[in-house]
Amino acid sequence: MNKSKIIMAITIGIMSFIMIYVMSIQFKTVNKTDADELEYMREAELKEILASYKQKYTDAQEELDGVKDKINEYTQNEKSEEEALKLLEDEVKEADMLLGNTDVEGEGVTITISSQTNMDSSNSNDVSVINDGEQIEITHEDLLELVNELKLAGAEAIEINGERIVTTTDIFDVGSFILINGQRTKAPYTIRAIGNQSYLESALSVKDGYIDKYRSRGYNVEISKSREIIIKKYEGEMTLKYVK
Amino acid sequence: MIVLSIIIGCLVGIILGVFAPTISYAYTDYLAISIVAALDSVFGGIVATLKNNFNFKVFVTGFFGNAILSILLTLLGNKLDVDIYLAAIVVFVGRMFNNLTIIRRHYLEKWEQTEAKNKAKLEEKKSE
Repeated sequence: MNKSKIIMAITIGIMSFIMIYVMSIQFKTVNKTDADELEYMREAELKEILASYKQKYTDAQEELDGVKDKINEYTQNEKSEEEALKLLEDEVKEADMLLGNTDVEGEGVTITISSQTNMDSSNSNDVSVINDGEQIEITHEDLLELVNELKLAGAEAIEINGERIVTTTDIFDVGSFILINGQRTKAPYTIRAIGNQSYLESALSVKDGYIDKYRSRGYNVEISKSREIIIKKYEGEMTLKYVK
Repeated sequence: MIVLSIIIGCLVGIILGVFAPTISYAYTDYLAISIVAALDSVFGGIVATLKNNFNFKVFVTGFFGNAILSILLTLLGNKLDVDIYLAAIVVFVGRMFNNLTIIRRHYLEKWEQTEAKNKAKLEEKKSE
């Protein structure tokens, strides 16, 4: 057996070993790797997948845009509804204030009327004593006139002795009392009115106006302006039976 | 002697191959093409042996050269974004089939010759 043949045999053996070894590496690798996993895919497959994902992305984006538009629409609708609701609420509030269903506050005047019962005043004021010894009673007409005057001067809310004057308020005499809103009240009467305080004051204290007139009749009328007047709401109920 | 070395080589390869490490999937293309090239060389060597013009140096250089060249071609193809390895596979597998055909024919002819000889012997015996 010559040398070259031995070399040949060894070389061929090594070669076959290399080939089998490489083949088994390849088999193992191919077997082991999951061809569906992204990192093992070929470029072309990846491209396809990428393209399909892009398409999906665009579709989803479009859908998202549509939904966003819808949401916008809804919010706008909601907003306008809210606005309408607010407007309505404001209107209701204003109506309540006008009707006297809520406590209100603002600038205005306070007027106190009392008949002069104390002796010294009746003595000192000669005009007040028209009928000697007879006590002057404040009648409902006096109050009605005052309310009327106040309304004329632009009063927005009026109360007499804590009774709010509303549209259905009645003022009339019952014996020694005056009924306002069905509640008995007695002198002295404190009338509070909200409105432009200078208008209200000047309307009443103008020469030969309400105050002059009633003072000359012997009433004790005081008027004071105030920046802050609180008028309670009308406590009764307003129900409509016949108005349709 | 040579057959024995082939068998030993294959056995060692299989045994070590069981514990062989796996490589990244990205390189399987190159390995596959080199395996095909090597197999082509092997069949070429067998054919040459049968034709009695086996050259050991040609065989060894063909075995490694083809494998390395095919890997390089695949690499080039990847860089050029052309599937050159397909062309290499077509060539190698085509040659493998050719060589297999040659091997098959060789042994068929051999077999037919022995058959004919046997027949001739039988006829000789009959005639006797």
